[in-house]
Amino acid sequence: MSETEASSTIRVMVVDDHPMWRDAVERDLEDAGLDVVGVASNGREALARFPAARPQVVVLDLQIPAPDGVEVTAEMVRQDPSVRVLILSASGEHADVLAAVKAGATGYLVKSASRDELLTAVRRVALGDPVFTAGLAGLVLGEFQRRSDEPTTDRDDTLTERETEVLKMVAKGMSYRQIADRLVLSHRTVQNHVQNTLRKLQMHNRVELTRYAIERGLDAE
Amino acid sequence: MSSWTSPAAIAVEDRLFRALAVLRIVVLVNAVALSVYRWDNFQRPTAGAACIVAMVAWTAFAIWAYDEHRRRTFLLLAADLAIAMALLLITPMVKGAGFSASLPGFWVMGALLAWSIHYRWLGGLVAGVLIAAADLFLRQEISQSDYGNAFLLVIGGPIVGFMCQSLQQMATERDLAERAAAAATERARLARVVHDGVLQVLALVQRRGRELGGEAAVLGELAGQQERELRGLIRAQESVDPDRQAETVDIVVELARLEHDGTVTVSTPGFPVDLPAATAHELVAATRACVDNVRRHVAEDAPVWVLLQASPDRVELSVRDEGPGIPAGRLDEAAAQGRLGVSESIRGRIADLGGTAELATGSFGTEWEFVVPRTSAAP
Repeated sequence: MSETEASSTIRVMVVDDHPMWRDAVERDLEDAGLDVVGVASNGREALARFPAARPQVVVLDLQIPAPDGVEVTAEMVRQDPSVRVLILSASGEHADVLAAVKAGATGYLVKSASRDELLTAVRRVALGDPVFTAGLAGLVLGEFQRRSDEPTTDRDDTLTERETEVLKMVAKGMSYRQIADRLVLSHRTVQNHVQNTLRKLQMHNRVELTRYAIERGLDAE
Repeated sequence: MSSWTSPAAIAVEDRLFRALAVLRIVVLVNAVALSVYRWDNFQRPTAGAACIVAMVAWTAFAIWAYDEHRRRTFLLLAADLAIAMALLLITPMVKGAGFSASLPGFWVMGALLAWSIHYRWLGGLVAGVLIAAADLFLRQEISQSDYGNAFLLVIGGPIVGFMCQSLQQMATERDLAERAAAAATERARLARVVHDGVLQVLALVQRRGRELGGEAAVLGELAGQQERELRGLIRAQESVDPDRQAETVDIVVELARLEHDGTVTVSTPGFPVDLPAATAHELVAATRACVDNVRRHVAEDAPVWVLLQASPDRVELSVRDEGPGIPAGRLDEAAAQGRLGVSESIRGRIADLGGTAELATGSFGTEWEFVVPRTSAAP
């Protein structure tokens, strides 16, 4: 399947509280032949329209009227684990971005990214490929580092040496192709390593949430 | 706001008067019990009984009266002190001139401490001196313990008063600080909304400008610069931490400044990385030297990536560009020839910090990697 064929079928939902932005993104996606199946200007609208729209990809602004982007991400992924959430954020505040990715977002772009970068990101995310900017990779590395400094960490959700190495290279701005060349790996293997780091990050988040729920006695029903 | 009238100061005073109410009952029970126990000492038992009834009645009234801030008038405090002194002064008439223990005894503490709480050290001093003078004035001869009691009254009044004043000042200051913190939080929340709106528009102008080309592209470029500038400032603002010691610097914020010209991408952990100011500045200077070197030898607008990793015992900083790199041995050769450009400015800086600087070159471009120990910065 060629890329144009694949992208013509991608169903996208755009969530942004700035009408100018929402329209610009919607237009860009439609011009590129993607199917915009829904738009929303706040978290409540987004969650209300999500089940009927059934998008494959949600392009989501983090700073939207409540519930915010992080909560919307978590709820959408809970309802439909196959949905891919691409975060498009203006401020790129570290804590918010990291929280969204932990909640289940598959990719992150700052809003100053170009039209082509956005389209590429949507297509890649639709295929299940995480879209890591160098900045996001740095945040994720920091998160795993912080975790490994804590004495109580479970060893099964830390990164392998190879995964750390790959993630470091992503954080240094290297493309998957360059990483594959430098480590003498296939492009696909590099992709898998990046995917695994994201999976481990999100898994750890679920483990933390479950532990929290058990401690608070929320599971007693 | 004055520490006399602030709500926090009044709340402290209320608490102190409630504690004093308990003390008043304790000293009253003590005075009554001692009088009953030594009933033979009373030359005029009827008058003695009347005095005891007056003490009980006044204590009850005083506890009620002092409970409300608005009732704590000068009149009340003056009456409180006058009654305590009156009971002292009529002791010789009730118990005879050669009495040993005064009629109210420690009960006078109630009036003394009320003055200390309400009029602070000066009030405590005035009440202490007056009560001590009344006590000593009556006695035919002043024993050592009489003097000791009087001395304690004069010393204790101002000390308690001073402590009350300090408590009230501290409560007022804490109250002000809490309100300032709440205001700052609200301002930060509003600022986020404002910044987000501005960033959205700047990003949109930049994006559309690039697509339209021509003059619009120039406007877009300007918008892009402002956007990066603002994002850097927001990051710096986020890391303003009142607990940070003055001599440490968050290197995350310092490195983020390098992003301003738009060709440098800085990746860092999501938490502050505090380093001693000198270490942080040297590391940033070394990084800047690497970036400048790329500008000189690769291209003015060549992209550069900076990655910071931090563990409790060290920081790792790498600077990568996509240029052809420096042939192996070229730097050492230059150093051997006495030309110490890059080598001195980068390796030297890092070595001075007790760290190492490695240079790698290949198909991936050129990459400097600095590892610097965190010594005094460890929490």
